[in-house]
Amino acid sequence: MNELITTLKQEIIEVLNLEGMTPDGIDDNAPLFNGGDPSVAGLGLDSIDALELIVLMERNYGIKLKNASEGKEIFKSVATMADYISKNRTK
Amino acid sequence: MAVYIQSAAQITIQSPLCDDWFTSPIRREGRYFRSVEPDFKAFIDPMASRRMGRLLKRAIASAMTALDGYKASLDAIVTGTGLGCIETTEKFLNAMLRDGEQALPPSFFMQSTHNTIGSVIAQRLKCHGYNNTFTHRGTSFDCALQDALAQFELNDISSALVCANDEMTEAYFQLFDQIGYWKTEEVTEAMFHHPTSEGSFAGEVSAAFLLNTQPTQQTLCRIDGLEVLFEPTDERFRQAVEALLGKADISREEVDAVVCGYNADRTNDEVYTRRLTPLFPQTTQIYYKHLFGEGFSASAMGYYVAATCLKRGEIPAHIRYKEGKATQPKHILVYNHFQDKDHSIALLSC
Amino acid sequence: MGSIVVTGMGIICGLGCGTQTVYDALRAGKPAIGTVRHLRTSHTELPVSEVAMSNEEMIEMLRLPSDRVVTRTPLLGMVAFQQAVKQSGLTDAVRTAFVNGTTVGGMEKSEQYYLEFFEGKHTEYIAAHDCGAGTEQIGRLFGHLDAMYTISTACSSATNALIMGANLIKSGKADAAIVGGTESLSKFHLNGFNSLMILDHEPCKPFDKNRNGLNLGEGAAYLVIETAESAQKRGATPLCELSGYANACDAYHQTATSPEGEGPFLAMTGALNKAGLKPADIDYINAHGTGTGNNDLCESVAIKRVFGDHVPPFSSTKSFTGHTTSAAGAVEAVISILSLTNGFIPANLNFSSAIEESGLTPVTKGLSDVDLRHVMSNSFGFGGNDSSCIFSKIS
Repeated sequence: MNELITTLKQEIIEVLNLEGMTPDGIDDNAPLFNGGDPSVAGLGLDSIDALELIVLMERNYGIKLKNASEGKEIFKSVATMADYISKNRTK
Repeated sequence: MAVYIQSAAQITIQSPLCDDWFTSPIRREGRYFRSVEPDFKAFIDPMASRRMGRLLKRAIASAMTALDGYKASLDAIVTGTGLGCIETTEKFLNAMLRDGEQALPPSFFMQSTHNTIGSVIAQRLKCHGYNNTFTHRGTSFDCALQDALAQFELNDISSALVCANDEMTEAYFQLFDQIGYWKTEEVTEAMFHHPTSEGSFAGEVSAAFLLNTQPTQQTLCRIDGLEVLFEPTDERFRQAVEALLGKADISREEVDAVVCGYNADRTNDEVYTRRLTPLFPQTTQIYYKHLFGEGFSASAMGYYVAATCLKRGEIPAHIRYKEGKATQPKHILVYNHFQDKDHSIALLSC
Repeated sequence: MGSIVVTGMGIICGLGCGTQTVYDALRAGKPAIGTVRHLRTSHTELPVSEVAMSNEEMIEMLRLPSDRVVTRTPLLGMVAFQQAVKQSGLTDAVRTAFVNGTTVGGMEKSEQYYLEFFEGKHTEYIAAHDCGAGTEQIGRLFGHLDAMYTISTACSSATNALIMGANLIKSGKADAAIVGGTESLSKFHLNGFNSLMILDHEPCKPFDKNRNGLNLGEGAAYLVIETAESAQKRGATPLCELSGYANACDAYHQTATSPEGEGPFLAMTGALNKAGLKPADIDYINAHGTGTGNNDLCESVAIKRVFGDHVPPFSSTKSFTGHTTSAAGAVEAVISILSLTNGFIPANLNFSSAIEESGLTPVTKGLSDVDLRHVMSNSFGFGGNDSSCIFSKIS
């Protein structure tokens, strides 16, 4: 699991072009999206980033989401995303 | 209502965001040059720009520089771009052709629409005003300017940011090379004066102009009018010139210079000579594409060069194409055409 | 300056070719959402609204040389352009500008030949790729145009072309203008919208609680506009007045509209102000209504902000035509004018329950014999580019 989390962080940084960020700098449990509320700590990603994460899951792990709204629960944090991937990956 | 160019900023193949080209230009002899980029961190934080291609960054940096110190409201943002963010369009297209029609990156598609540029500037400025984008090849910027000027005329707006933005990717350079847009050999400055073949050399332009109706100390010049024409007859062209001069109440002899888009392409350059000789046989001519290269947004630099000359009260030797009477410039025409189809001619004065 | 009137219009879309065919389909409540026939894509599962005619059929109908280098977007445009000019009787004796809205340009061919371009094949289509190239091809069908402009603001392109045309006339830069837009389906566009996950796999359900995205469409439409004086002088019959129009920017997000619908609100109020009308004067709104979660909610919120408790009858005819993107503003302008002149409000198909947050219910069955004086048409695009226009009966 830890290995998957580290890989995933690297992939997120690359796909979302999070310049200057390192895997160590991302808390496993910090929210990826703050819903536009800057007082919530975390990465502060938006709806397009969510779509990019869906593409990432499909390309790298063979997971296909039908609806963008399914991403809401999955992308709460890197930990929840890794958890979902480990249970549903086809590659 | 009089319209003034309050400020202008450029990111091109000359030194960016300054007017070094006026006093110490970078000599450009070759086939293809990319813009010299400033440090974008001064304009956009990395998190906000993480999805932006370089053209969007240039567009923001040039727009923010033109607006530097400007506090009043902005009523309109009008953009000219021949191809939009072609770099990201190519990325999406390549992904689709390479990987098939599955799991394609949305960010690249999102940026592929031409009006991404104008909307990103609006988002950055939180500007809810009029926002439009023109994509009409070599007159894209001229069309954008015409849109703004029509609305000034109607008192619908009293300020506008008018921009031009085009990039030339390696792939697009090759495509245009296939259809003879570029010379097969390196373009030299001498070729501009004696063009013997077709084709030019490629450059990139991001330029932004702040227009409003209140002259200040900073004001570069006034825009007295602009005519956009499609395949005009000689008579229609003459009429358009007379209309421009008539509105400003000046004679042809009072025009100090005409800025022309000579680009070392024999066919292109011949049009300027043919159209202008009957009307302005003795007038000084200015060229600028030897400094900035050719591209769909290049014409914006014609306005930029004219405005700078009017503000500084001189026309430096390195942009004089044809010598006419030596005067401190007060009225300059900016004439641009694309393949002798779309033409635009504007009068700038100080 | 007198009023601006519409003296001609032309249309081609999934519903068919020509204003009468389109009107008949709207009256019959027969949508044109179906499976792909011409577009080369693997996404055959996605419903689209395709124009029935192939490129070859359009080339033949237009009597173009069969080897003409032309892509589908300008072909659609030429068909609609010719109809509009013919109805108006406009000739180049009038100083006429052409303002064309389009976004994909020649992409339909570029995406087929892109890799081959680099090998020196099909290079004649390289210069046909950019948006302005199509504008020129279409415009050449008209004697001599005084000026040409191409606008590309995604799904509001055609409405912005209409605004630009009106401004050119009012400011004296043209005496008449042919305005509108054209857009063909392309693999690029279909996959782009698909990557944003906003395509419904069923026929779209605008303004429905359970809406699930849009269906892409294709088509073209143009209007001939001029001053009332010019129409009178030429002996042309005005169809209606273009009484109001406005564009505003949401300045919120590249693909999403702000929750309070600021851009749409400003566009609608701007158009009302320009027309000198009150919200209560609007008898029908042809809504943007794409069927996406975000658009329909924000448009509803904005409509309620503008019209309060007295929201006029509204419908999204994208449930018939699909979303014709850059052409949508013109396609729906033509539908709005057909609506106005025939006293007919077309239905918003596939609606069953209102969006909870707004509670708004569109017109779900076509309404005949309605007294319509002022009709509003909304077109909102990527980048928060929002435009509205109002067509009014000649007073």
